[in-house]
Amino acid sequence: MQFSESWLRSFVDPALDSEALAHLLTMSGLEVEEREPVAPPFTGVVVAKVLAVVPHPNADRLRLCTVDAGGAAPLSIVCGAPNVREGMVVPCATVGASLPGGLKIKRAAVRNVDSEGMLCSARELGLSEDAAGLMDLPAVLVPGTPFREAFDLDDMKLVIKLTPNRADCLSLHGLAREVSALTGCAVTLPSCAPVPAAIEDRLPVSIDPAAHDLCGRFSGRVIRGADARAATPDWIKQRLERAGQRPISALVDISNYVMLELGQPSHVFDLDRIRNGRLGVRWARTGEKAALLNDATIDLAPDFGVITDGDEPEAIAGIMGGGRTAVSLDTRNVYVESAFWWPAAIAGRARRLNFTTEAAHRFERGVDFSRTVDCLERITSLILAVCGGAAGPIDDQVLALPARAPVRLRAARCNRVIGMAFDRESIGRTFDRLGFQWTATAGSDGDVFTVIPPAFRFDLAIEEDLIEEVVRIHGYDDLPAIPPASVAWMRVLPETRRSADAVRAALAGRDYFEALNFGFVDPRWEADFAAAGTDAPAPIALVNPIASQLAVMRSTLIGGLIANVQHNVNRRQPRVRLFELGRVFRRDPAVADGPLSVAGIDQPMRLAAIAHGDVDPEQWGVKPRPVDFYDIKADLEAILAPRVARFEQAPHPALHPGRSARVILDGQAIGWIGELHPRWQQRYELPAATAVFEIDWMAVASRALPSAAEVSKFPPVRRDLAFVVERDMPARALVDSVMADLPPFVEGFEVFDSYAGAGIESGKKSLAFRVLLQDTRKTLTDVEVDSSIARLVEIIATRHDGRLRQ
Amino acid sequence: MQVELDRIVSEALASFAQAGDSPRLEQDKARFLGKTGSLTELLKTLGKLEPSARKEAGAAINAAKSLIEGALDARRQAIADEALQKRLAQETIDVSLPGRGRGQGGIHPVVRTQQRVEAIFRSIGFDIADGPEIETDWYNFTALNNPENHPARSMQDTFYIDGCDSDGKPLLLRTHTSPMQVRHARTHRPPIKVIAPGRTYRVDSDATHSPMFNQVEGLWIDEDISFAHLKGVYTNFLQTFFETDELKVRFRPSYFPFTEPSAEVDMAFDSGPLKGRWLEISGAGQVHPAVIRNFGLDPERYIGFAFGSGLERLTMLRYGIGDLRLFFENDLRFLQQFQY
Repeated sequence: MQFSESWLRSFVDPALDSEALAHLLTMSGLEVEEREPVAPPFTGVVVAKVLAVVPHPNADRLRLCTVDAGGAAPLSIVCGAPNVREGMVVPCATVGASLPGGLKIKRAAVRNVDSEGMLCSARELGLSEDAAGLMDLPAVLVPGTPFREAFDLDDMKLVIKLTPNRADCLSLHGLAREVSALTGCAVTLPSCAPVPAAIEDRLPVSIDPAAHDLCGRFSGRVIRGADARAATPDWIKQRLERAGQRPISALVDISNYVMLELGQPSHVFDLDRIRNGRLGVRWARTGEKAALLNDATIDLAPDFGVITDGDEPEAIAGIMGGGRTAVSLDTRNVYVESAFWWPAAIAGRARRLNFTTEAAHRFERGVDFSRTVDCLERITSLILAVCGGAAGPIDDQVLALPARAPVRLRAARCNRVIGMAFDRESIGRTFDRLGFQWTATAGSDGDVFTVIPPAFRFDLAIEEDLIEEVVRIHGYDDLPAIPPASVAWMRVLPETRRSADAVRAALAGRDYFEALNFGFVDPRWEADFAAAGTDAPAPIALVNPIASQLAVMRSTLIGGLIANVQHNVNRRQPRVRLFELGRVFRRDPAVADGPLSVAGIDQPMRLAAIAHGDVDPEQWGVKPRPVDFYDIKADLEAILAPRVARFEQAPHPALHPGRSARVILDGQAIGWIGELHPRWQQRYELPAATAVFEIDWMAVASRALPSAAEVSKFPPVRRDLAFVVERDMPARALVDSVMADLPPFVEGFEVFDSYAGAGIESGKKSLAFRVLLQDTRKTLTDVEVDSSIARLVEIIATRHDGRLRQ
Repeated sequence: MQVELDRIVSEALASFAQAGDSPRLEQDKARFLGKTGSLTELLKTLGKLEPSARKEAGAAINAAKSLIEGALDARRQAIADEALQKRLAQETIDVSLPGRGRGQGGIHPVVRTQQRVEAIFRSIGFDIADGPEIETDWYNFTALNNPENHPARSMQDTFYIDGCDSDGKPLLLRTHTSPMQVRHARTHRPPIKVIAPGRTYRVDSDATHSPMFNQVEGLWIDEDISFAHLKGVYTNFLQTFFETDELKVRFRPSYFPFTEPSAEVDMAFDSGPLKGRWLEISGAGQVHPAVIRNFGLDPERYIGFAFGSGLERLTMLRYGIGDLRLFFENDLRFLQQFQY
């Protein structure tokens, strides 16, 4: 809502300066978003009349003007404007004037002729971009009048960010009412005195009874003989412009003016262009269209209200008029309509058409239904004054108006909700100032107020609505800040749950930085890194993405992390290590609606990390080595510890097929790990080795409660064994076999070397294991140790054809 | 004899002092204390003395011996010390060279803020909740007293996804963390004290708006939790978060469909580059009775407050970050400023 301060002050003029008034509005919930002067600062400019114009003796394009600027003697001013003429009233910057942009006016000779000032264009005064000629001012202005005063240029333009509940403030009257409630200063309203009918003409308007939930009231009248070409008065134009509206023509401007002034949208039909000589109001029918005054033709749905010409839709009720019956400069006879359209009948409709109008904006929030006739009178008197003509009688059909159900406010509840004490007197005073009709009775639990909401308020339906008004008008600044007391129950995560913070800290400790990426991603990433649309289902698409590269929901975090690496590589970072903890999204019919779930959509939290470049930062004491599978595997194992995952060789669309593994924890697949597929490394222009993992957050979030085992007092025995096995035999298989059939005293069996090459026959490899043997009760004898080792060798030989390497 | 002893002792001390290394010192030791050493030789003469003189001479010789041995030990120690000093000097390193190995990563600044907010509210007994980002119309809007066609819906531009919920309404990306109020409250009994941080989405992208951003929702429902309590808790929160009691907080009337009375919360620093400027920091209010009803609770009995704050905004103010876009570029030069 934009308007000029002077217009507001014409309604209500509290003893507050501009800044204090803006602060008052802001602190009452009408946030003043902008406040700026309507004109840039300048001084020394007065209204002047051009008395005579003669050619400049020394220049073809310049004229020498004799100007009455209100002084004792006329001024002589050289002027180059093409439109200067005798008798013209113009702005004149006198000697000593200071103009926007820093120009100072001095007495000067222009081509050897003295000039005692400057006649100004609108651009020279910073009022508009119009530099075509001098501003042509109304002849009624008195020469010598300060220009700023004549045009009220010391005015401020205010923009208020209105919340949707305060439709009553979408007019100067409404804002004035609010200022009055806050200051106690009285409001002066423009006259809405009835304009008696001078002619008998009426326009029949039939309202479909089925549309009682569309049109609550329909008021209108005919005006004949109005001159649509009449100029809109400057004061109306000025207020419209300062309210951000472009003046169009007198009839349209008056309709808009009264809407801003009193809040009632109205529509002016060209009476002669209404076919059939009548109007109707009804809900639209499927398949109908409306040709609007913005030249758009709209397909109507049955929940759109229409004004018809008796048969076909002519205008969309409460939203926009029709093209055919719109007024033009040739219009002579009009029908002015001022109606109440039910908010629910208008709400959301314009948005569906992808536009909004001032009318729709007001009607969907609620317009004062009690004043359609007053506003019609106001419009009539302005049209008659500006365009002339004769008005017919007003037809005012009232169908169904909003019931103003009384709303109850219990002072006790009010004080409990707000947390401060308001007494009967202060609540009553607030209601009075807001113009509410109210009564109060003493209830068992304190005073009970009953309020009839005024017709201009559509946000007062329940007790809380009134409670808000009580504290709002009192002022939030007085609200005390009280720390609540509460029952001191202890609450902490179970020890078997690991917090995201702990896992983040662990990853940060392993030299990863946390990244945050959008939930929607480039569809190409999904195709490349999740095989979406080929081996995997298509990703979940956005209906209204802001960009094609943010068009689908991610099913993996890998794409975002690769893009982050790319971004950093392009900024000359040779080594990038990032992780992200976030949700991924995929369709899953098995997911039902639940406390934390949405049917059909699985959206688990996942944890992913990427390492690009060398394992270690470039440094003086470490030989550089590109990161590989085992480096990031160590990171993952550390994050999962104390739980131990298994890694099964398996292909993944993002990963090198020979260097990727499915991660299994307690028999459940929890994610993937591997080196990036060389194809993607090339396509995404990653110059160095890149390894990633991505796992389910829940797998990381839980851990077992430690249960301590006895620590032996006797020293363990260590034996190292190497076996020659088939080259594709996973080391883990040997460990599994030993663990499944543990020989006596064996406490540990871990691989410490893997070797293939000279000394080992081709197709084979050597795996070296460290065997730890231990008894908690005694020191082991060589015989016992040898017997256990023999058993272990036998297991490897029989299960894996493994030969002990001597 | 004593003269002889004195000579031997002074000779020994002088030669030990001259011995530069331990082989030389051990040679010198043999000269005095060895089998044929001068002191040993002198000892051999004891037998020839009168028993009465023998005792006296023996004591004198032993005294000389212990003097020589003491000097020998001292010199041995000195030589060893010297050798150690030499070795230590050789082993000296440049301690200014950087430490070896991996570096230290960090936590994203917005998450760092989230962790701090969680810690602050946990300290007064709040739970932390999290929930789906793809939401239903009911949880995101209707349950929060923002039915279809309501003008307040245009306050937030919603991303919709391809697909419908169980009510046949299009699924959407949550526009705020407020649906978590409803989800949490429907599964817990009062007193309900919870914050729900998380990612939220709105169709808005420019220098000051990101289509994805992070919010934290707060909710406290009990029998007597008032608007003044909201002001108390939120003021305390901001002063704790920014670690200054000088921070000013003001409440300004506003409108949200799900709270009433509603407030915009503004804060102003007492010092620093933003000193004295009111900065919007949160939307808050007393939970609307219709929403309390959607929690499955009786609004006559239960009241309380809710607030929602932007984590990016808090982060920017806390760490002096000027550009929202930095948060989602994940540029290491930015992230490295937040080493953990």
